[in-house]
Amino acid sequence: MAQVSAPQPKQVRFAGLGPGFWPVTAVLTALSIAFALWILYAPLDAILPGESHEVTDRAADVDALFKFMSVFGGAIFFYVSGYVVYFALVFRHRAGEATDVVGVQVHDSPRLEFWWTLIPALLLIVLSWLSINVWYKIQFGTTAPALTMEVVGHQFSFEYRYPGLKGSIYSTTDAMHLPIGRSVRILITSADVIHQFWAPEIRLKASAVPGLVQNLNFTPTAPGTFDIECTEFCGIDHSLMTGKLVIESSDAFDRWLASEKLKVAAAPATIDFAKGDAAAGRQVFTQKCSACHALAPFSQRVVGPGLLHITDDPAHPKLVDGKPPTPENIGEILQNGFSGPIGSMPNRTANGLSNTAIADLVAYLVSLK
Amino acid sequence: MEAGTTTSHADHGAHDHIHPPPEGFIRKYVFSLDHKVIAFQYFTMGLIFMMVAGSFGELIRLQLTSPTGAIMSHATYNTMFTMHGTAMVWLVLIPLVTGAAGNFIMPLQIGARDVAFPWLNMLSFWILPVAAIVLFSTFLFGGAHAGWTEYPPVSLADGTAGALWCVAIFLVGISSTMTGLNFLVTIVKMRAPGMTWTRMPLFVWATFATALMNMIATVALSDALAALFFEHVWNVPFFDATRGGSAVLYQHMFWFYSHPAVYIFILPAFGVISEVLPTFSRKPIFGYKLIAFSSMAIAILGFAVWAHHMFPGGLAPWLQLPFMILTFAIGIPTGIKIFSWLATIWGGRLYLTSPMLYAMGFLITFTFGGITGVFLASVPADLHEHGTVYVVAHFHYVVAGGAVLGFLAAIPYWFPKATGRLMDERLSKIGFWLFFIGFNGTFFPMHWLGLEGMPRRYASYAAFAATNPDAVFWNRFETAFSFLMVASVGLLAFNVIWSVRHGKLAGINPWGARTLEWMISSPPPYYNFKKIPIVLDRPYDFDKPLPYRNLDNDVDPYPSPIAAVTGVKPVGAGA
Repeated sequence: MAQVSAPQPKQVRFAGLGPGFWPVTAVLTALSIAFALWILYAPLDAILPGESHEVTDRAADVDALFKFMSVFGGAIFFYVSGYVVYFALVFRHRAGEATDVVGVQVHDSPRLEFWWTLIPALLLIVLSWLSINVWYKIQFGTTAPALTMEVVGHQFSFEYRYPGLKGSIYSTTDAMHLPIGRSVRILITSADVIHQFWAPEIRLKASAVPGLVQNLNFTPTAPGTFDIECTEFCGIDHSLMTGKLVIESSDAFDRWLASEKLKVAAAPATIDFAKGDAAAGRQVFTQKCSACHALAPFSQRVVGPGLLHITDDPAHPKLVDGKPPTPENIGEILQNGFSGPIGSMPNRTANGLSNTAIADLVAYLVSLK
Repeated sequence: MEAGTTTSHADHGAHDHIHPPPEGFIRKYVFSLDHKVIAFQYFTMGLIFMMVAGSFGELIRLQLTSPTGAIMSHATYNTMFTMHGTAMVWLVLIPLVTGAAGNFIMPLQIGARDVAFPWLNMLSFWILPVAAIVLFSTFLFGGAHAGWTEYPPVSLADGTAGALWCVAIFLVGISSTMTGLNFLVTIVKMRAPGMTWTRMPLFVWATFATALMNMIATVALSDALAALFFEHVWNVPFFDATRGGSAVLYQHMFWFYSHPAVYIFILPAFGVISEVLPTFSRKPIFGYKLIAFSSMAIAILGFAVWAHHMFPGGLAPWLQLPFMILTFAIGIPTGIKIFSWLATIWGGRLYLTSPMLYAMGFLITFTFGGITGVFLASVPADLHEHGTVYVVAHFHYVVAGGAVLGFLAAIPYWFPKATGRLMDERLSKIGFWLFFIGFNGTFFPMHWLGLEGMPRRYASYAAFAATNPDAVFWNRFETAFSFLMVASVGLLAFNVIWSVRHGKLAGINPWGARTLEWMISSPPPYYNFKKIPIVLDRPYDFDKPLPYRNLDNDVDPYPSPIAAVTGVKPVGAGA
């Protein structure tokens, strides 16, 4: 092996840890401390102008945890990125300098490596402890809730059920209501696919999983009207699956619940298919059905099958439940829902159709050709 | 005489097994057994699909310039984000980081003439174009809609398109498993004499950890996809709660693969960074053993954290805690790596070439993505962040700002070895700044938009924009910056094609690097090493003569960057 004889490369020389190392470290430390103070003491409106204030006791806990992580995460980021930029500037090879000079030949430093393993480990142990505390409050902090209610996810809206209220609050315009100062447990499930219930101001979310009931526990602390959003992709109009949450005083909540009970009591008792109005039914279809059903042949599915030929399709002479397409049988699916291999159709509690609306809708569907 | 020949055969082992290079276009370039040609095939295919999947991403960004959705229907938008994610993960990242980088670099770095099973390697590659055809044929059946995760029950509405999606990803899974097995055997059995485990280059360590994960994790994905396919086609109710199945089961199986998959992307990028930083700092990698050990720790821990993707999604409450704590624990080896890299560039003589810029950019963006990952690991904080664009920001900082930036560092670094010519430095540097600025401009605002309540996978966000008026401004800001990344990838493609013919000649070792691939000619001959080299030490001691014996070429014992890079005439250059 004929190797060309070359002199051993020289190492770079500089005093201490490098020119300006300690001043740069001091600047990065000051930056980290300033950032920490800003996170801890500045009002939320100044830190994140669009972020809404927390409105429940658990939301405040989550925010405190978030601030703890921001303080230390911010410091780690400032040091790492600050040193990367500083090293790039101070140790760079300048044009015209010799190329046989190599860097300081250090291989490791067990003491340094010990500390940069131990310190992050300790921080993460503290973070685990803080996280477990908040987690415990979320899962087990509410032993006997003053109000237990249910949220059911449907493609593409949320249904809210309250104790003592026959029927549900279910439409894209009606809001969910919660009282200030009463501990709340929300039981969450789904009637079709997986959804997720979230109001950013509560800072908590839970998936609505078919076949499972999950819960969220907290006590509302401040009034207001807030967005509810579905945050698990649930189908074509996932992005329209939003709602409103009204948090109000305990008295206002009770008055609202009482008025809902009166509304349910006033609804007509039976369905009269003969009185169905196809024109009104068309409006109902646009509002309630068109998200999942197209006015097209059976095979053109959006979520459910196309309904244009529901009564006169030679390839599908029967409804999905195997019954002939009479107005009564169509009305039965609208009332009781349907679940099978083709998918699931919400029942009446879920789709929120009144008796009149069902009659109108059936008249409209039968009129289609 | 016969006996004598046999003896010398046994003595010299592999020396006598140099096969002649194949002749004819098909055997040379199409169905080639050469790991370098296969790597080039992966590279070309990955780059093409990066442009396709990237343009899907641009359509997503254009749609979000208006809160009611600017350019397409909800159904089309859902298909776009599904195909963007699916293609980026399985047709871009997996082929590029393991297929292209692993195939080209790893056998050269361990002094092998090829991988252990060249036919298997060829088969692994040729499965991918088939998978790609199947995947893109879903467009003919209305497209898959349910996101790259395709969670049932919602994905069952995709019908034929959903079933074909399962087939495509299943095929990619077969390819990954075979590549994993191939690399594992190659690294265990085919290292040059003297290359003990603790003398392996760190990229090889990273590839070893990746191969292990590829082999073990992909099986779970295949199970999930097979079950989903059965439910699509024969209506077997694995995931249907009304008939005794469980919708959450699929998520467990899917994430048992797909969380390790994130490390399958990122570990080879770690390996690239561990090679690029010492070379351009003229310093030994700091803490070799801890970096190698942390790769293995990440690979092992990576199997025990999958359910952190499902904190709000139907886990028993007590089950959230071990997954949270194990996820925190991954922060420790990852931190060790970042601090070790930082210590590597400290006190060096830094050449700020384009691979070095990409590597330093990686340090900044990946650190940020790692920190936001800790925020997501904490169960209570995750219950706020899950399903928002904050998560989108986090994983793009890790995957695009980590794995992709690492791979972009590898391209100009190994391009001269693969082609014999350097890429144009000025274009590469412009490309870096376009990507770095464009990337941060695109994804940084998503952090606060997510915390404010902007959900991901929304084709329109009118309700969110009504309560957060700044949302429209920031979304347009993101879209504008995303086009800088498009420009950067376009520039990269141009640079690659132009430099193959017109780049400056690189010579054997343009960067003055010390791993074995830089000891042979550029491009490497068909058999890589005429004589198998003997390895005496680790490749990172820049003040010592090269730790190799039995090399094919005369090389400088103290290699230093050549004039093409530095503008300075090297001292004692051997060539």
